[in-house]
Amino acid sequence: MVLVLALGDLHIPHRAPDLPAKFKSMLVPGKIQHIICTGNLCIKEVHDYLKTLCPDLHITRGEYDEDARYPETKTITIGQFKLGLCHGHQVIPWGDLDSLAMLQRQLDVDILVTGHTHQFTAYKHEGGVVINPGSATGAHSSITYDVNPSFVLMDIDGLRVVVYVYELIDGEVKVDKIDFKKTTATTAH
Amino acid sequence: MKKKVPDWLNSSLWSSAPPPPPPDSISRLDSEPAPAPAPAPAPPPPPTEPPVPVPPPSVVREEPPKPEVVNSRNGNGDDGNAWPERPSTDDISRQSMLLAELSKKVINIGELRRIAAQGLPDGAGIRSTVWKLLLGYLPIDRGLWSSELAKKRSQYQSFKTELLMNPSEITRKMDKSTISENDDSKSTSGELSRADITHGEHPLSLGESSVWNKFFQDTEIIEQIDRDVKRTHPDMHFFSGDSPDAKDNQEALKTVLTIFAKLNPGIRYVQGMNEILAPLYYVFRNDPDEENAASAEADSFFCFVELLSGFRDNFCKQLDNSVVGIRSTITRLSDMLKEHDEELWRHLEVTTKVNPQFYAFRWITLLLTQEFNFADSLHIWDTLLSDPEGPQETVLRICCAMLILIRRRLLAGDFTSNLRLLQNYPSTNVGHLLYVANKLRTTPSG
Repeated sequence: MVLVLALGDLHIPHRAPDLPAKFKSMLVPGKIQHIICTGNLCIKEVHDYLKTLCPDLHITRGEYDEDARYPETKTITIGQFKLGLCHGHQVIPWGDLDSLAMLQRQLDVDILVTGHTHQFTAYKHEGGVVINPGSATGAHSSITYDVNPSFVLMDIDGLRVVVYVYELIDGEVKVDKIDFKKTTATTAH
Repeated sequence: MKKKVPDWLNSSLWSSAPPPPPPDSISRLDSEPAPAPAPAPAPPPPPTEPPVPVPPPSVVREEPPKPEVVNSRNGNGDDGNAWPERPSTDDISRQSMLLAELSKKVINIGELRRIAAQGLPDGAGIRSTVWKLLLGYLPIDRGLWSSELAKKRSQYQSFKTELLMNPSEITRKMDKSTISENDDSKSTSGELSRADITHGEHPLSLGESSVWNKFFQDTEIIEQIDRDVKRTHPDMHFFSGDSPDAKDNQEALKTVLTIFAKLNPGIRYVQGMNEILAPLYYVFRNDPDEENAASAEADSFFCFVELLSGFRDNFCKQLDNSVVGIRSTITRLSDMLKEHDEELWRHLEVTTKVNPQFYAFRWITLLLTQEFNFADSLHIWDTLLSDPEGPQETVLRICCAMLILIRRRLLAGDFTSNLRLLQNYPSTNVGHLLYVANKLRTTPSG
């Protein structure tokens, strides 16, 4: 039972001052085992804050990140699942399922987590699942101002993943979930 | 009338060096008062050394038992004289008595208590069975044993499966009951549908009744339990070290304590409970009967609950200052000491200001497991569990006896030396100690 937090596109301090208070009150250290962040934090202070939530932090580079050392893509294996991480501004058209599916096949992962569109989406295709956690601060994207703050928490338990979607709508936190199973176990390598 | 120290207290008997054993005719069973305990003029086992310093613990317990003491059931009356040479004979006789009692169809608990109060032999799994009987885990009707054991053990198993489930599984169970399993291969691509969460359960939930929240709160307690279990009896191979057995035992202790904490949200886990569980688990695990040893975890859980039921209030912080709390128990000990040995009491509490809380707290809450070596503490527990007055009362008497036994050194010491002495109680003849504790049962007339 591994809890993985996926979030990104915070754009602190340029487009948003901080995470919403209701999100911050829920995110306490000690509960989450891994954090994967799509990018665009943008400053070191945000990195440090995320590090206090959980020491195992994975970040990929967004186009506005001040730290240039983050990689463009990253793959992580957690339990039976391989997760891929990429900011998503590199994949054109932005947010297009087929292009993201190509990236997923390239990285050879079960779950691909990308951002950049600041909209939560979760797609399934033959190669696996693509999740976009949206923007955790509700910062405006390159395309639209209409953004609800959102992030994703994945509960990986054996071959089953429950994806909890946390969204701040009209000042209230709404939680939904998505359930899916993997059919075959990952071969160890 | 001024209460002076009773004569028997001033005898050389009670110095901390183990003296020759007290005269024979003293016994717990006899109601007549003991003759003047002046062992020096009438040392019972003249030729050989008293079995006191002999290592095998069962022999150390030798001194009081007298054949005449025990009921007519015991046939070997002449062994009393022979016991110094072959102390094991008496041990064997006690063992046979116990076995005889245990093999009866309906066990007489009062009888068993009396025999057990003198100490139980270490072998033949007697202690394991007797403790289970004394704690009410096994019914006195032998015929019901197997059904009772099976019932309780399966109950423990169901506790384990229920309570040790992690929240993912719990939420999955809740889902199954509300929604039927979705066939998720029906759409090969496309947007994944978002489903409502059941009962507002999500991992970051801060709700009081949330399964997840409880899980994370319990995690802290489980960590605490883990730390304490690792520190239990580090000198014993049974409990610590790298052997797979030690690991299994530690796991078992952890599971028992975790389940107890989950079932008792009022008191949860308090440091020290591991020390009370340890002897129970040790005894049951070392039962020569295979089945019993395998179910030691379940058995020790129920016996632990039973044993703790009398002491729960000691572990509850809020009750510390109340009438049933640990403070009042310590005050009772203090009063008992005052009653039996006013001089010592005055010296300790008034002159040297050694507050009994400094030493008695650990003595009482941990039932003396920390003050003596493991084998001795098992013998003390024999007496504790078998006394009809109950462990709480008995432990007070034993603590009082512990103080009285070293009165000479205490009276001569100041705050520092007394405190040091009491917090590292010197090793002593346990049989002795229990004898004195028993004497304290009747109020001395001064």
